[in-house]
Amino acid sequence: MHLLAQDLVNGILAGGILAVVALGFSLVWGIMNIINLAHGAFVMLGAYTTYQLFTSFHVDPFVSLPISFVLLFVLGYLIQRLLMNWIARAPLLTTFLFTFGLSLLVVNIALIVWSGDTRGVTTAYSGANFTLGDVTVPWAKLYTLLAALAITGTMQLWLVRSKTGRAIRATSMDIGAAQLSGVRVTEIYAIVFGLGAGLAGVAGTLISLSYSLHPTMGDLFLIKAFVVCVLGGLGSVQGALIGGLVYGIVEAFATQLDFTIGTQHISGSGLQDAIALIVLLIVLIVRPRGIMGKATA
Amino acid sequence: MKRIGLGGITGNPGAFAIVLGLMVLLLAVPLTHNGYVETVFRNILMYAAMAYGWNLIGGYTGYVSFGNVAFFGLGAYCSGVLAAHGVSNLFAYVALAMVVCAVFAVIVGFPVLRLKGHYFGIATLGVALAVADIIANLDVLGGSSGLAMHQLDEAHFSTYYYAMWLVALGSMLGTYFIARSKLGYAFVAIRENEDAAAVLGIAATRYKIIAWAISGMMAGSAGAIFAPANGFIDPSITFAVDSNVFPIVMTILGGSGTVAGPFIGSLLLAGANELLQRFFVKAHTLFFGAMIVLIVLLLPRGLVWLFGLRGGVRAWIKSVQVYRA
Repeated sequence: MHLLAQDLVNGILAGGILAVVALGFSLVWGIMNIINLAHGAFVMLGAYTTYQLFTSFHVDPFVSLPISFVLLFVLGYLIQRLLMNWIARAPLLTTFLFTFGLSLLVVNIALIVWSGDTRGVTTAYSGANFTLGDVTVPWAKLYTLLAALAITGTMQLWLVRSKTGRAIRATSMDIGAAQLSGVRVTEIYAIVFGLGAGLAGVAGTLISLSYSLHPTMGDLFLIKAFVVCVLGGLGSVQGALIGGLVYGIVEAFATQLDFTIGTQHISGSGLQDAIALIVLLIVLIVRPRGIMGKATA
Repeated sequence: MKRIGLGGITGNPGAFAIVLGLMVLLLAVPLTHNGYVETVFRNILMYAAMAYGWNLIGGYTGYVSFGNVAFFGLGAYCSGVLAAHGVSNLFAYVALAMVVCAVFAVIVGFPVLRLKGHYFGIATLGVALAVADIIANLDVLGGSSGLAMHQLDEAHFSTYYYAMWLVALGSMLGTYFIARSKLGYAFVAIRENEDAAAVLGIAATRYKIIAWAISGMMAGSAGAIFAPANGFIDPSITFAVDSNVFPIVMTILGGSGTVAGPFIGSLLLAGANELLQRFFVKAHTLFFGAMIVLIVLLLPRGLVWLFGLRGGVRAWIKSVQVYRA
């Protein structure tokens, strides 16, 4: 029984990170209709920013959170403003292809700058944990989860309350009507893409605390962001959070599966992804627009 | 979306003629007796066949699949299983792969093709990853350590090249004739407006499943030839991310929804990748990425569009500005 509780906790802790990874991806996709394949590369850049600040200047990863955010926000903003703006009205596939090229570019620059070695950020509290009954909780992961919750909460508040947030939501509902009401769509697009990149950077910082770093680390998180964002419902902050938590928990339980059919031994740790994705398929068939998704207009 | 300059449903006829000519030229590649050159061009043909497969579902029917690598992998494993039972006939490999892929597409297609747009894309990505994971855990298929396959000796090795050429040609001509048939028009109608297509009496689900099954048969055949030519298969080779993304990128870059596009895209991309790899050992992928970014910005409609360009530089500048926000 204690295993179940431990899995649940592990799943929630992992899910918090996934929620932040998926949040930026989901905003860009839901609002700008761009599947940003460079999102994983942005996550990686965030993680390496933290790594570099930590090893060169001993900056605590939680202190570097805003730094990663600002750096990647500026990067994303400039990319959208200077390059992607040229293909803003092109079909979905064109921007998709653009971000694919961008991702290759960024990952390979990182490979040259930081080489292909696996790296890690080891803080004083990295190994520390506490036990609650039978359940072990690492402090670093708990802080990460709290930070993730705070970030998603802030995002939601900002999108609902602030003037820019309202302009963003208006743009996602009806570009034409938003433009008529005085929203500068080019500017909003640049802000949203910057925001997506910034959130990816934040996610990268959080990831660097519990995972090892490699220039191609983003790929795995990109695929998970894809799934989480569809699971929860596109372009919704709560959706990303719920999707992330559900995915994390399903994945954590999947690792515990262990049985044998005939001579074929099946262990959950190898099938982790397959099980999580089969759950995704079932959710999609039952609720084609995600858990928090709304019906089509 | 207007497809100015792309010609009719099969795309620009001039571009198609050029592509057919190039295909004939490619028959001469084994005459160089250079193993490296032959492998490079065999891979180009393999990617072309997969790109044609993707073009049918993604380009013509408008359903962007991120899971076509599942068919490629299934095709490769069909050959693997047949080879383990002592069969070495390449036609048998391809036939089994086509049947298995078509059946798989129909079974998976029923639930998955109910989803629209992006949701379909993600579901297919899930299917591909799940199939790869399941195969990696099946001891019968060698699990994650894979299957070794018996290969033809050096004197007959070009057989694999010709087989791959046939698969690519079959996919190309198949696309051409399907596009001109009732099927092709049904696919395009679904792409442009699925509801309107349904009103016109096109059973959307049935046609989408047909498109996906044919698409899977093309990718599966490529996999069936790839397996023995490579001599060894395991989940990480047969379900590689490259085999999933490259055909998509090639099709879009060449011009999706045309008959010439996928081939031009695969020739250019696979060729450029190979050249860059030779000259820039470390930074080749970087240049590859930069090249894609530039082509997308300068030719947002794909390379085939250049063939239909009338009006020179001015028309080209106009075409780039159309998509600006």
